Amino acid sequence: MIRILIWILLAILLLPTPLMPIEPLVERSVYLTVEDGDRLIGGLTEENFRVSENGESRDFRLEEPELPVMITLLVEHSRMAAWYWDDITQSLSSFVRSAPDGHWYSLVTYAQTIEVASDFTRNRAEILDAWNRLGQPMWREVNTYDAIYETAEKLQLIGGRHVVVLIGSGIDTFSRRTLGEAQRKVEATGATIFGIGAGSALRGRLEMYLGTNARMELLRAQAFLQMLADKTGGQAFFPRFVTAFPNVMRSVLLMVGHQYRLIYDSQPRLDRPFQVLEVEAFVIEDDRRKDFTVRVRDGWREE
Amino acid sequence: MPYQCLAILLSLLLAVQPVAGLASTRPDLTLTQALGKSYEELFDLAPGLGFTQSHIDAHRKHLERARDTCIDEYKDAAKSYNRQLRDAQAELRRRTARLNDEERHELHCRIQNLRKMEQQAELLANHAIPTAFDNKLAKLELVEKWPAELRKIEAEIAAEKHYERRYGDVRDIGLRNIRSGQQDDIKRGHEAVQQMKMMGMMPPEMDNPAVVQYVNDLSQKIAAASDLQVPLQVTILNSKEINAFALPGGYIFIQRGLLEAAETEAQLAGVIAHEIAHMTGRHGHRLMRRATIAGILYQAAQIAALIFTGGVAGIGTYYALQYGFYGLGLVLSLDLLGVSRDFEREADQLGVQYAWNAGIDPRGFTEFFSLMASRFGYVAGLSWFRTHPPFYDRMVESQREMMFLPPKDSLVRTTTAFEEMKRALEDVTKKAEADEKQRPSLLSPVEDCPEPDLPRYKPGDPIENLCPAILEAP
Ligand SMILES: [Zn+2]
Repeated sequence: MIRILIWILLAILLLPTPLMPIEPLVERSVYLTVEDGDRLIGGLTEENFRVSENGESRDFRLEEPELPVMITLLVEHSRMAAWYWDDITQSLSSFVRSAPDGHWYSLVTYAQTIEVASDFTRNRAEILDAWNRLGQPMWREVNTYDAIYETAEKLQLIGGRHVVVLIGSGIDTFSRRTLGEAQRKVEATGATIFGIGAGSALRGRLEMYLGTNARMELLRAQAFLQMLADKTGGQAFFPRFVTAFPNVMRSVLLMVGHQYRLIYDSQPRLDRPFQVLEVEAFVIEDDRRKDFTVRVRDGWREE
Repeated sequence: MPYQCLAILLSLLLAVQPVAGLASTRPDLTLTQALGKSYEELFDLAPGLGFTQSHIDAHRKHLERARDTCIDEYKDAAKSYNRQLRDAQAELRRRTARLNDEERHELHCRIQNLRKMEQQAELLANHAIPTAFDNKLAKLELVEKWPAELRKIEAEIAAEKHYERRYGDVRDIGLRNIRSGQQDDIKRGHEAVQQMKMMGMMPPEMDNPAVVQYVNDLSQKIAAASDLQVPLQVTILNSKEINAFALPGGYIFIQRGLLEAAETEAQLAGVIAHEIAHMTGRHGHRLMRRATIAGILYQAAQIAALIFTGGVAGIGTYYALQYGFYGLGLVLSLDLLGVSRDFEREADQLGVQYAWNAGIDPRGFTEFFSLMASRFGYVAGLSWFRTHPPFYDRMVESQREMMFLPPKDSLVRTTTAFEEMKRALEDVTKKAEADEKQRPSLLSPVEDCPEPDLPRYKPGDPIENLCPAILEAP
């Protein structure tokens, strides 16, 4: 009896991949922005896009973006942040000043663990207030991978359109999760992530004093924030001056305000955990195709 | 036969009492019962009560002791909840590997409920109970001082001396000068409004045209009958806070909760007139001069800390929002709003005049005060009482002014327009409540927990339920 079962199992496992059943059609919703240099391009229609999944063309349509957006500020609150405290407070306060009414905003801080400092609220002032009342950071650890992992996990439980704005150095000291686990979690979540690299002084005027290790650490941190943005259709910013943060935050909000919502018929391949997505945007001018840059997640992972 | 005698005796007593105006003690009303009455009832009753000074003094001491005991009791309760909370968390850590699903759920619920109970005990001890006792003490002072005050007022009216009082020139409203330079406040007020909007402090504006139209019309009508020399900018905020506030330079903000709470046009008008009086008195401007712009918007009040951060893991925020404690009235700087004892009294007096001059029954304002002190309890009314502190002088100031005003017939109590506004408001409220239910949450509260057990208090309950000691005679 057991032997028969094993034979059946083996038979299934050994079937060549083309015969593997393909998932029935599912609709996937993605958010993206279209850019031409430093300009955001609005007003495009379905004729201006092409969508492919795993290299094959897919049917799609554009829809009204969901409102309100749920925007979570994920902010480093560690002892290490003393090095770039101004960057963090500048980012936060200029974000709160520029953010439009009507969306849901929340503040989650991280160091050793994450803390929900302010649950979703329409009252942006609560975000600043919650931050101001946190007091001195208690933890030396900056577990950024854990923070992104756990935040993504929380957001997965809530449906709808999510944006995460991570404000921090991107350095990770002692996470339980690996970089790979954090990445896989992000691939499985629908949120668009923006990375705001705090530590402008370390990239700017203090850079020359950094040792090789510190420099490497900083590069790794930047690469992590960049990865989060690339994976999810967001953008990572690494200002070299603290004065640049207000503009950066305005850019983030502008991008959120200009997101397209695209729904395509997905046919995921069951032989791979990650489905690659590609979106092209273009206009035809004088019979010539002009291509734009598209910021969109690079695919999906089934969990 | 004995019944007839009694009836005659009673009617004699009743007939004699107002004429004599003297102390015929009413044995049917204890001091404790008297303090359970509304402010308006007490204005009528106090002259006939005749409690002795020593009786009143003893009662005041008793109230103050009861307040301190009650506050201590809830502070201790908060501490005890906190200890139990830490024990429960320690237990969870210790046993986490060996717990089955049922045990874990029970422990999660216990932790969640203990957090809620700690929060609520703190809120009651620090804010609700003190406010409740402020009202009690104000009423006690009314029982004590009003009879003499009333005689003084009647004598002044008889001698026509009341025309000489401050702002006694009520026939010249609109042409007199309360405090010059109202126009200079426009810029400062506008700045504050812009700043508040930028910081996201303003709740969304209400967009129901029927409600907006009615409230604007009523406010403009009162403004036209006031000493206001700048245009009145009325904004209705869609928030359940029961409050209204004025910023210098003609900016008035009326919150949905106030429209829901007011029972008559006169009550609503009383509050609006009071706020307009803060503008004509330039109260906000005068207090703001001392403050920096950063300090102006936010009062680093303890209450804001409690409400916004909510202590452990922000569960308080979640809890507070449910009860609607939170609101602008709790975080806005009192300097910006022009709230001080003297300015409140002045605004009360002028507000009464403006409502009256607009043809609206000025008693609405004190009525609304009583309503807040009773029906809405002291928790739903936290914001209101922070910006409108209850104390004896202000009640008397309002009452005296109403007696000094030349009689007018057909003062409006309420209108069909008010009733129509209330009906339109129901839809707005329903929509807002549905919207609040859709609020996403990162906190994912533990589901299916038993209701937390203590403190024995629901918003809207009289505070006596919390501190039974205040019901005992000294
Ligand atoms: Zn006032």
